[in-house]
Amino acid sequence: MSPPRTRLVKRARLELGDYPVDAAWAADGRALVLASGEGEILWWAPATAPAPERLGQHNGGALALAWQGAGQHFASSGQDGQVWLWDARDRSRQVLRRSSQWSEQLGFASHGRLLAVASGKELAIYDASGALQTTLPAHPGVIAAIAWRHKSSELVAAFNGGVRWYRIEPAPQARDYPWSGACLTASWSPDGRVLASGLQDGTVHFWYLAADENSQMKGYGAKVALTSWSANSRYLATAAEALIVVWDFSGRGPEGTRPIQLGAHTARITQLSFQPGGTHLASGGRDCRLMLWQPAQGSEAIDADLLPDEIALIRWSPEGRSLLVADRSGALTLYGLERTG
Amino acid sequence: MSDRIPVTVLTGYLGSGKTTLLNRILSEQHGKRIAVIENEFGEVGVDHELVIGAQEEIFETANGCICCTVRGDLIRVLGQLRKRRERFDYILIETTGLADPGPVAQSFFVDEDLKEDFELDAIVTLVDAAHVLRQLTDSATAADQVAFADVLVLNKTDLVDAATLALIEQALRAINGTARLVRTERARLPLDQVLDVGAFDLDRALAVNSAFLEQPRPFEWAGVYTLPAGHVTLHTGAHDHAHEHEHEHEHEHEHEHEHDPHDKHDHDHEPDHGADHGHGTLAAVSLLVQPAARADAQALESSLEAATSTFADTARPAANGTHLVPGTLYQLQLGHSAHFELVLPNAGPWIIYSEHHPGEFGLHVHGEAPHLERAFGSHHHDAEIGSIGIADPRALDPNKLNDWLSYLLQSRGADILRMKGVLSFRGEARRYVFHGVHMIFEGKLERPWGEQPRVNRLVFIGRRLDRHELEAGFESCIA
Repeated sequence: MSPPRTRLVKRARLELGDYPVDAAWAADGRALVLASGEGEILWWAPATAPAPERLGQHNGGALALAWQGAGQHFASSGQDGQVWLWDARDRSRQVLRRSSQWSEQLGFASHGRLLAVASGKELAIYDASGALQTTLPAHPGVIAAIAWRHKSSELVAAFNGGVRWYRIEPAPQARDYPWSGACLTASWSPDGRVLASGLQDGTVHFWYLAADENSQMKGYGAKVALTSWSANSRYLATAAEALIVVWDFSGRGPEGTRPIQLGAHTARITQLSFQPGGTHLASGGRDCRLMLWQPAQGSEAIDADLLPDEIALIRWSPEGRSLLVADRSGALTLYGLERTG
Repeated sequence: MSDRIPVTVLTGYLGSGKTTLLNRILSEQHGKRIAVIENEFGEVGVDHELVIGAQEEIFETANGCICCTVRGDLIRVLGQLRKRRERFDYILIETTGLADPGPVAQSFFVDEDLKEDFELDAIVTLVDAAHVLRQLTDSATAADQVAFADVLVLNKTDLVDAATLALIEQALRAINGTARLVRTERARLPLDQVLDVGAFDLDRALAVNSAFLEQPRPFEWAGVYTLPAGHVTLHTGAHDHAHEHEHEHEHEHEHEHEHDPHDKHDHDHEPDHGADHGHGTLAAVSLLVQPAARADAQALESSLEAATSTFADTARPAANGTHLVPGTLYQLQLGHSAHFELVLPNAGPWIIYSEHHPGEFGLHVHGEAPHLERAFGSHHHDAEIGSIGIADPRALDPNKLNDWLSYLLQSRGADILRMKGVLSFRGEARRYVFHGVHMIFEGKLERPWGEQPRVNRLVFIGRRLDRHELEAGFESCIA
């Protein structure tokens, strides 16, 4: 008898016909908001309404989407310099922000009460009704990533020169964690202990904020533009070029330990995402391959699929049971995970 | 990858006319859909829908490695533009006047995203003819912008006279021996000079101008005259009848230049080439007159070696009004409108060799214009930055070449701004072409040599380059 295995099973397809810039799952995992290269914002409920519903369009292209935790709102931004706050119930929207700067980073706190919008060097915080709470002082560099700490009102902004930590409520507090490098990503471990950032110079940096310690992991051959934590906070997956490097934070690690290396991609990895609530890791690349891994079990992919074009998006549903994968041509595939054997 | 999006980078010091050129490109019918990435202080009309502002941001590494320095803003903005690939087919990046072109160019070699999706077509540097000589003296950035260029657009040429233009071209060529040089006024020039240049197509890049491969000379200029026997007056300085003769310069001839970092000449002057007539403030200049076999280019060419060795003599100081005889090296003391009497034993072709270009000290021969003249490498202007070329037909050993270049780039990468080459490997039918920015280096085997003579051509543009070191290194690569 072979051991049980997990497989990717195709459940639904959609031809967007345009570059898929971003996608965000609704809190209930039944619908998705999609944003296209031309700026269209679409609503897709694969099970109930296979044809997507067009909600609006950012002139000149879309940049980002974010869903409001367990709530009913989502935000979108575009190259028109606008940020919109949507109500999923009646599909209404309000304009949160108009700026000559692009707002490339949007993020709701996990409790859903606060929305962070990064535009260039500026970070603005809105409440769920769309009211501006605070505009934080300009950052030393353009904000490359923002990340809320789970179940808190704390977030960090990452930029060229380090990260800046904030506690927004009740009154904003800030603290700088300078580092001489261009931080590209920001990922909190789900337990809130470690903040990880991938850098342009081919390193990964960890900050243990409570202990006020930090460490640098070198050895990548290229910039580290992707970082993702496993749900149990044990593993941090990172990627540079075609190689996935997974750091194990159990025991005394990861400092001084050898990371797990997952090397099956043959071209640069574009998407890397751990399964919410689970142990699977999904990756996609310019080799048009979607791969499913379980780093704790071994360094072989447990399933894979070949898509028509390079992979542009991978988005796990909130409960981790479905996986939206979009390729560059705009072909969207919804996969489920099925256990066999 | 053929579907990479071509990119032209437009650089140029403050006031060089970048915005004028950009606006012209955008308003002209050229059938291209161009997305423009503009620095945040730009002035391009906002009505063009594909103009994106970027805040210049330099990403450096913790270890300070200059080759890893890239432009974070360009990586980010181009990453977004890539998602709208169908909307445009060309990208123009306008940098600020003070931008270092190094990180801009390097981003396209270093960053994985940009490497795969975009193709640097050319770096086009606009140069303000009225101010460039001063800028090159005052600003390392201005010199870097010239050094990095594939195309040098000499703009506002209507604001200076022909002699100054010649001087400017000489100064530009001394820094960058390979760039294509285009003259224009008010940034008016055919767009194919700026778009789809294919400058990183090495064949074309190296075909443009290989003249700077020539050996360095101790004189910057030589002119061939037919002169009468007896006294001939040499005038210097900015005096009234200068333009009777001075402006007969032929500017279509090829300027041939070399830059010699070992230049031991003591230039006790502050190069001060303003927008006026290029008459600087030279205190003294070495000058030699020699008889020529004929008044033609071949005679000039064959005289160069003898003149070069005479320039090694100790120059005899010559004050205002001194009589000069052929075959003696003089150091003319330049007062205001100093003049000298040349005493010639016979009528016929004579060659005057001058340490500096005549435009710099207003030299002209009374009543005579040269039949032919030639400029050589410049010895002044920021002796720091220049081009060195090597041309050699001997086949190379690729492993030895690799060792040398690795060593060179590691030890001198910060000083080498650009590097290009077409190489002949022993036993290889195809040409090996390479180019680099600082320490980043890309090379590949291209089409076969075929009927073409197999000649290695290498070009280095950079600071404090040492010809002897480079030639010795090249020598070590011979198969």
